[in-house]
Amino acid sequence: MKNLTELATPFASMTPELGSDLAWLKSLRLKALTQFNSQGLPSKKQEDWKYTSLWEMAQQEFTHQVLTSDVNETQCDELALLEDSHRLVIVDGTFSANLSKLDDLQEGVFICPLSSEQGLEQAQPHIGQQIDISKEGLNGLNTLLMNDGFTMVIAADVKVDKAIEVLVINTGVTTNLATHLRNVIVMAENSQATVIEHYATLSDAMSLTNVVSEVVLSSDAELNHYKLQQESSNAYHIATLAATQGVGSRWNTSSIALGGKLSRTDVHSKLMGKQSHTTMDGLYIATGEQHIDHHTRIDHLVPDTTSDELFKGVLDEQSHAVFNGKVIVHKDAQKTDANQQNHNLLLSRGCEIDTKPEMEIYADDVKSAHGSTVGQLNEDNLFFLRARGLDEVTARSLLTHAFAVDVLNRIPSETIRTALSTQVEKHLPKSGKA
Amino acid sequence: MLEIKNLHASVGGKEILRGINLTVNAGEVHAIMGPNGAGKSTLSNVLAGRDGYEITQGEVIYKDQDLLSLAAEERAQRGVFLAFQYPVEIPGVSNIYLLKAALNAVRKYQGLDDLDAIDFLTLVRSKLELVQMDEQFLHRGVNEGFSGGEKKRNEILQMALLEPSLAILDETDSGLDIDALKTVSKGVNALRSAERSIVMITHYQRLLDYIVPDFVHVLSDGQIVKSGDKELAKELEKTGYSWVNKEA
Ligand SMILES: Nc1ncnc2c1ncn2[C@@H]1O[C@H](COP(=O)(O)OP(=O)(O)OP(=O)(O)O)[C@@H](O)[C@H]1O
Ligand SMILES: [Mg+2]
Repeated sequence: MKNLTELATPFASMTPELGSDLAWLKSLRLKALTQFNSQGLPSKKQEDWKYTSLWEMAQQEFTHQVLTSDVNETQCDELALLEDSHRLVIVDGTFSANLSKLDDLQEGVFICPLSSEQGLEQAQPHIGQQIDISKEGLNGLNTLLMNDGFTMVIAADVKVDKAIEVLVINTGVTTNLATHLRNVIVMAENSQATVIEHYATLSDAMSLTNVVSEVVLSSDAELNHYKLQQESSNAYHIATLAATQGVGSRWNTSSIALGGKLSRTDVHSKLMGKQSHTTMDGLYIATGEQHIDHHTRIDHLVPDTTSDELFKGVLDEQSHAVFNGKVIVHKDAQKTDANQQNHNLLLSRGCEIDTKPEMEIYADDVKSAHGSTVGQLNEDNLFFLRARGLDEVTARSLLTHAFAVDVLNRIPSETIRTALSTQVEKHLPKSGKA
Repeated sequence: MLEIKNLHASVGGKEILRGINLTVNAGEVHAIMGPNGAGKSTLSNVLAGRDGYEITQGEVIYKDQDLLSLAAEERAQRGVFLAFQYPVEIPGVSNIYLLKAALNAVRKYQGLDDLDAIDFLTLVRSKLELVQMDEQFLHRGVNEGFSGGEKKRNEILQMALLEPSLAILDETDSGLDIDALKTVSKGVNALRSAERSIVMITHYQRLLDYIVPDFVHVLSDGQIVKSGDKELAKELEKTGYSWVNKEA
């Protein structure tokens, strides 16, 4: 296979194994192929891709041919965010039954790899429902090439006893490996679950992870949905999380983007039922030459819905981050309450942030607030800490940490908050001289 | 303990300290009074090592060392403590974390190990009691949402824990109610000893009723224009600073 711009065509003959015998999937892939062939990869000319160039990624040669890769249990335990959880592990793009811990699922909890017969069967009605492949180039590519992922279906009134960690490991044994995953989460009425999508790499090998998670929340369902991306500094990571929310449902998301050479995460919620709520949070920490882009969108489609969005970013060295947040209050969505904030801390002169919080309001009875800030560490605070004996580096990291953890403090589970906070601390710039 | 010789300091080309001379021996308590804008906070900031001041002349000797050549944290680790006139709020850094980090920074310099969690808590509790602060303040962000008086108490809590050799209190009494003033004074007096020195900046004689100074200085327009004992403060209370310009 050649570079990504020419990627689609070669794949006409190289259909992924998954569901190659299923007519519905074949026709879906064919549609995606047609789309992709006509559009190619998104370019900087498109508004949504103005600040993120895929040009360099497109110059890389990717492969889907996985060499034997081996991750042992210890490695897996060390990587995992949570000790006590249900765990679904995907290694180099393929579900690993050995490493997964899915044996004590309570009744009404279905979690399976997408590549299993049942997983695909359960996912079928939902695949492609939350994304628009005609608009989003890489989602089309994902549809064309998805080969695994997970399907999770939670029955009505079931509260999942433990958090579910989906650990996606790229070993780097196969260099230039491209992995395309599709996840489907379906929450029936009044069910509750916590899912962590965790993307990690074991080496510095170049790689591409392209993932789409589609979420359906029925009435009064609640999903805490966290995504932790800490891939290597040579990894490309493209992700979409998209949900449709029914009456009284709650989708609490947080996208913690710490790794990758280039990462782009789209988060999209559609509030279709009254009294539904989205919390859409994010934290990005970019150092070196990292490029981290978040595009978010919240559609308030009916009356009485609420959303609360907080994205924070810490940038150092030559890094570049993008935040583009769109909240759309549609015509009939009276009594919407929407809050959107993006705050950025710039630790060096070389880094760059493009932030654009946007609200489009077509209803007249709406409570809304949005804003963004870009700033540096507060000198008074810094002096105070130093005057208490903390050296400059410690003082700077402490203030940076304080700025960042604000986002994590909104996560209700202390275990998860602490675990994420530990990961965040590892990535926080320590040198940080302004 | 501290010897300030002909200290000149400017900010943005404007000279604010214009030749300060002051000697503070171990065990002494000095009060510095003077009109607004005289340079009192500037002096304390320069002593504590804040960036942004240009020292154009003079020197400061602290415990036989050139104080001005040390970074702010090095001064703190060697026992210089500044209680801020306007304590900052730092959400996201808990008070207890700050106290622990500050204490361990000093202990590290002294070649001591970090205190273990239990010893630390016992120590902090005793200091909380001294300044009459509730334990819940430990778990809030540093000064986050504290009232003016609570912030000042918190400064004294930090001082009590760190047991500095040289404490510079910049208007720690401002904004305190009578009871708080007594408590804070008790905290300061508890620290008084033959090995420690205290420099208090204040506008009010009443503080000096509780913490009786050995010397009182008047700082005006970047210079110490008059020094005396505690009687000078009483005099100032009556006459104000109008005489300063006339005498100068
Ligand atoms: N960063 C700065 N830039 C410009 N001028 C400054 C700066 N810092 C202090 N000054 C000026 O220096 C002078 C002395 O200020 P300082 O804060 O030391 O006064 P003070 O004696 O503590 O007054 P107060 O009793 O009101 O606290 C003031 O005129 C002040 O405006
Ligand atoms: Mg002052």
